[in-house]
Amino acid sequence: MISLNTVRIDPVAEEGREIFDVTSGEAGGRLMVTRGTGRRVREALGEVLERLPSGGVLYVDTRRVELMDYSFADEALGILASRVAGGEYGERRVVLVEEDRELLENVEASLRQRGLAMIRVDEPGAAPEIVGEVPEHLVETLRTIYDAGSITNADLAAKLGLNHTAMNNRATRLVKLGLIHRHKNTAAPGGRQYSYEGIA
Amino acid sequence: MRTQLELNIRRKGAMRGILTLGSLDPAFMGAEKVDGGSVVLDLRTVEFVEPAGLCGLAALLEFLISRSRLVGVRLSGHNVPAYLERMDFFRLFGHRIETNVDVSSLEERRRGSPGTLQELINFHSEEEIPGIINRISEILTNKDYRLRERAAICATLSEICANAVEHGRSPFGAYAAVQAYQHIVSGGRERRGEEVLVAIADGGVGVRETLSRNPKYAEAGTDNDALRHALQMGVSGTGEIGRGGGLAVVGQISARAGGSLSLRSGSGRITYYGDRTNSRNVPTFPGTFVRVSLPRIASSDQPLSKTRKPKAEN
Repeated sequence: MISLNTVRIDPVAEEGREIFDVTSGEAGGRLMVTRGTGRRVREALGEVLERLPSGGVLYVDTRRVELMDYSFADEALGILASRVAGGEYGERRVVLVEEDRELLENVEASLRQRGLAMIRVDEPGAAPEIVGEVPEHLVETLRTIYDAGSITNADLAAKLGLNHTAMNNRATRLVKLGLIHRHKNTAAPGGRQYSYEGIA
Repeated sequence: MRTQLELNIRRKGAMRGILTLGSLDPAFMGAEKVDGGSVVLDLRTVEFVEPAGLCGLAALLEFLISRSRLVGVRLSGHNVPAYLERMDFFRLFGHRIETNVDVSSLEERRRGSPGTLQELINFHSEEEIPGIINRISEILTNKDYRLRERAAICATLSEICANAVEHGRSPFGAYAAVQAYQHIVSGGRERRGEEVLVAIADGGVGVRETLSRNPKYAEAGTDNDALRHALQMGVSGTGEIGRGGGLAVVGQISARAGGSLSLRSGSGRITYYGDRTNSRNVPTFPGTFVRVSLPRIASSDQPLSKTRKPKAEN
């Protein structure tokens, strides 16, 4: 697990952020097993996600879940992460709220199988961590963006010693994985420029 | 025509008198020849039944009942019939087989078995699994199992139950049973503890045929080759990404507990211990049989339970 070392205060109070307690709702419970259950929870999460404004973040809170099996983790969270990464929810993002405990291993295994990752926090506002798989060469980029809070492509490129195009490619990959936000700064000197920020 | 099916019950040593899955092999072999007549299964040398033996027996009986006019089961003594009754065996099979046991006398004496975590249960679909898991989780909570132990047992059971009904296409669905034994856990110095055994049997197409639907494993080779593949992360019949993780995770859970995961399918049987995998050939029989051992070692700073038993008892 990789820590991203950024602490921000009460991010969920911001507009467009919502917490979904997985134990609540019709499909919810403390013992989360089988793909069927996972599918129903994913559908419930998808509905909430679609209602969020563009750029919104859904905090999926599994802290009250006592146990989940691999099938549930893959169906509920692995496939959700895959759809976020596939652009199905536009600029909306998902953050996992869970402590570092054994239950997380199933989520980790599913995301690694899929070559995907999610941002995880112990609680909303706590330091973001990565669960799953982020390509080695992107980890430093991700960490630098989270350390900075918000950073332009030019500043990021300077920090990491990369040219702007290479920097843009790397950050774009992280945007597509659903791990960061990207904004377009039209007023930037030299015209259009991207800036990036963490989602949690 | 009347066929008599034999078992391979050890007469000596630590496994003496135990009905394991392996002890059913001669009967599995003989069952293929049964066609239409009556068949008798002689369990009189059995003194003790473990969950994998019980689930294997259930799958064997399903096979025999579908192929013969009459299926008889011979039992002896009191303990084994009483245990089978407590495990709901006669509720599921009593009206479908002939036995020399007076089941009604057992019912009167019926009481809960302290180590039984799940009686023999027959299920057919994934929708039934959350109910099974809720129930066993409650039993484990009442028996003061720690959350991580409970999670390991429940996740193991749910995952192999799901496999059984997903790939099964089994005429009788699947059977599962879970039992905890207090005994001396083998290996190294004498350690008192407990071992939880989770067992499942289905009558489906088996692992090799399921995997062969995936073009990558279409030429899976032997049943044992297919079983070894099935233990790997991400190997599944559909080849869909994200699939085929369940069994690998169950293998990790059992290995971490110091236990093992055994799979029997077709003519193959493998046991995975984390650092090594043993395999051997067995008589061909339809379906897939899974046995997971999850030892719980009593930690030294914790008072041990008073009821120390030298040998596992039903």
